[in-house]
Amino acid sequence: MQLVVNTLVLAATYALIACGYVLVYRVSRVLNLAHGELMMLGGYLLLTTASLFAGRPLLAVAVALLLSLGLGLLVYVVLMRHFTGESVLAAVLVTIALGILLRGLAILLWTAQLQYPLVALGWQNPALSLGGGAVISAAGLLTLAAVAVVYGGLLLFLRYTPWGIRMRAAGENPLLAAQRGVALPQVLALAWGLATLSGGLAGMLLACDSGIDGTAVIVGLKAFPVALVGGLDSLSGALVGALLVAAAEVLAIAYLDPLVSDVVPFFVLLAMLLLRPWGLFGRREAFERV
Amino acid sequence: MVLLQVEKLEVVYHQVLTAVQGVSLAVRQGQIVALLGTNGAGKTTTLRAVSGFIGLDDARVTAGRILYRGEDIHGLPPHAVARRGVVLVPERDKVFESLTVLENLEVARRCPHQEARRLYDLVFTFFPQLAAVRHRQAGYLSGGERQMLAIASALLCRPQLLLVDELSLGLAPRLVQALMAQLQAIRRELDLTVLLVEQNAAAALAVADYGYVMENGRVVLDGEPSRLRAHPDIREFYLGHGEQQTRRSYRDVKQYRRRRRWYG
Amino acid sequence: MAYASGYFKTSYGAELALVETRLQWAALAALGLGLGLFPLLASPFALDLANQVLLAVIGAVALMLLTGYAGQISLGHAGLLAAGAFTTGILAEEAGAPFWLTVPASGAVGAVLGLVFGLPSLRLKGLYLAVSTLALHFIVAFLGSEYETRHGFSTGILLDSPRLGPVVLDDARLWYGLLLAVAAAVFLFSRNLLRTRTGRAWIALRDRDVVAAALGIPVAAAKLSAFVVSSVLTALAGCLFAYYRGFVSIEAFSLFTTIEYVAMLIIGGLGSLLGAVLGAVFVVTFPYLIDLAVDLLPVPARLSTYVFAVKYAAFGLIMLLFLLLEPEGLLGIWRRVRDYFVLWPFRYRPLAGRS
Ligand SMILES: Nc1ncnc2c1ncn2[C@@H]1O[C@H](COP(=O)(O)OP(=O)(O)OP(=O)(O)O)[C@@H](O)[C@H]1O
Ligand SMILES: [Mg+2]
Repeated sequence: MQLVVNTLVLAATYALIACGYVLVYRVSRVLNLAHGELMMLGGYLLLTTASLFAGRPLLAVAVALLLSLGLGLLVYVVLMRHFTGESVLAAVLVTIALGILLRGLAILLWTAQLQYPLVALGWQNPALSLGGGAVISAAGLLTLAAVAVVYGGLLLFLRYTPWGIRMRAAGENPLLAAQRGVALPQVLALAWGLATLSGGLAGMLLACDSGIDGTAVIVGLKAFPVALVGGLDSLSGALVGALLVAAAEVLAIAYLDPLVSDVVPFFVLLAMLLLRPWGLFGRREAFERV
Repeated sequence: MVLLQVEKLEVVYHQVLTAVQGVSLAVRQGQIVALLGTNGAGKTTTLRAVSGFIGLDDARVTAGRILYRGEDIHGLPPHAVARRGVVLVPERDKVFESLTVLENLEVARRCPHQEARRLYDLVFTFFPQLAAVRHRQAGYLSGGERQMLAIASALLCRPQLLLVDELSLGLAPRLVQALMAQLQAIRRELDLTVLLVEQNAAAALAVADYGYVMENGRVVLDGEPSRLRAHPDIREFYLGHGEQQTRRSYRDVKQYRRRRRWYG
Repeated sequence: MAYASGYFKTSYGAELALVETRLQWAALAALGLGLGLFPLLASPFALDLANQVLLAVIGAVALMLLTGYAGQISLGHAGLLAAGAFTTGILAEEAGAPFWLTVPASGAVGAVLGLVFGLPSLRLKGLYLAVSTLALHFIVAFLGSEYETRHGFSTGILLDSPRLGPVVLDDARLWYGLLLAVAAAVFLFSRNLLRTRTGRAWIALRDRDVVAAALGIPVAAAKLSAFVVSSVLTALAGCLFAYYRGFVSIEAFSLFTTIEYVAMLIIGGLGSLLGAVLGAVFVVTFPYLIDLAVDLLPVPARLSTYVFAVKYAAFGLIMLLFLLLEPEGLLGIWRRVRDYFVLWPFRYRPLAGRS
């Protein structure tokens, strides 16, 4: 029972992070390897706003979320804008470089110690009993709720709103979208903003659950196989991928060796790449265009 | 009034292949202008240069000007050109295959709902077949239905100048006739100007007010449709009324050689 | 100037020659002399730095063959270095194997791993290939750390200085000689390899794999051979690295190491062996330059307690700047400067002959 709960919470964390990878990839065909760092910055931003707006935790969270959104927009406008239409490799290398830069800056700005924004917010993270001896932390429960909200919101957004439809169109055929009057820079900036926002939210929840330091990046990196297993351009695929990878990881920790946990996602990834490289839910044509 | 004026346009692909070299043409307000030519003559490239390239195309306008209502629009991103009212119906990849028909139209919509409703009604009366499949994914449409959808979604952008690349591509001859007729009707309804690229010269010249013939990236002939239709070379190579069986290609025509020296 | 200002080749032999002008021979001789005299004059610190640069040169040239010439993106470079180092460490620790045995053993492991890393490339391209090599990196790293913990070497495996006949390699100068010889050999080997059928097949593959296949190049074999050659050289670099350090630990082969090597290629200039060398020099000396700057400049206390973070950030920034402003890297800058002087008062080469 506890294993199921653990799997669900871990899957929720991965899914929340993975949807950032999917959003950016789907619209711009760029693999954002700085997503882990952007997610970590979300946690750190919450740390800062929590001490800035001491006593008004909700305001602190809201401001941190806004800053995350802004950060994503900034990354696009300052950097990635120059790489639309360039070779995929160059864009990926840029995100790698950006990740290193951000990692260094995060340590300089927030030191390398493990810190707990929850303390600054003045909130608790009690363990809630679920019956049957299973417990779930409040932050874990919140993560599950956040996944439901974010994925539900994103799916509705992409399906029904004009901006969402434009985003899908631009992802499928950027030239035609532009010829139909869709401003690609705006759509791409929005995708980066939303991706960083959801990633930042994941970072904040992670920071609330287990504190934040540089190792958060590893979680972000492990969420990337999740996105790929589901198929890099499918949101619902990311959900399934998250469940799959999280289950494999939780089982490996329980029955094999806790040390394995860091590589399990990559084993799953490799198996997937060999069997069905376009992912569980990805479109094969999209894969072959890469 | 001259709506679109292309002057000595030169387009280079991948920095090596000059697909269009010094094309000049003019489109007057309210006209239908036909652009004819053999395969690979550079017609598509000309239209795409007018509507704007994006980085992925690796194509550049290296010389010349593209004036729309007196403003040089060359170098503007495609969405800016589209928002000025110059809208292209492309030759390939003309619909978003993973989107439904309605969503395809929605991508192009840029006006408030009130006016969009009128446009939707309009395109669905022009293309009743589309209305029947409005919830289907465009990837599952037939070639002809795609063509209709492409034109419909271009109309949703509220164009003033419509650039149509290969209206008849993959369509049944009867359908082409009907589409040409519809195009004229649409033009009257929406007060459109049309630049039409066409392989079916007879159909195009039947509706056009003026025509240009391209060859090897250059304009080699232009004139009123009646004049073009009467021209012996056009009769032979585009309309299929050959009189002298010895001349096999446009290149062998004296007329063309003379023009070539003139332009080259 | 030591460079020809245009394309003056009149025979096939001249086309094949590695060195074009007499002045270039002179410049090469001077370079050789300088490199030879260096250990006699340098401080221990500078010597250690030079050795690190030479090690990096071997690894960077290996990666350049794979990524810069054959066009196969790999993010598993650190994993291959680790494989070489661990093969050495394990053989020396468990079996007491000597130097002349561990070196070929590392190479062999490198070859096998090259095949493993290369197999996905038969099916995957670009981004997906990069991702699969990344996954392999993590798996190799995991195996390494697993070995360390299982066998009680949680801080790493210690290695004795290797013995070459009667000589014990425990002096930085001796190491300098060995590494210089190996690096030069690897460089020349690669330079020559690129002129063979195999090398040309790689370049064709990089430029357009479909066309390469149409030209009758066995694409699968060419891809695999690129992976194998590159991995063997990389594993050798890993082996030498382990001996030079006297110490093997998985900590030294993180993802960051891979990124450093990729950065060498970008900063040096993709698609050129000389670029790999320049990049290696730059990336290895860069952190020491930062140290110097932090020592010399009056920086806030926070910056000096977290020097490693400063290095991180500066490194990322430099990489970004190169990607944004100078995609051809240091070599591109060098070429522009050189052409300016060689061709002055003209601006273009009459015929693009050399690259
Ligand atoms: N994306 C591209 N990259 C390189 N060359 C291209 C590209 N598109 C077209 N060309 C070349 O440019 C020339 C003109 O092509 P274009 O598509 O404009 O011809 P077209 O007149 O539209 O022909 P068709 O009637 O067959 O459609 C051709 O020689 C073609 O090979
Ligand atoms: Mg065409």
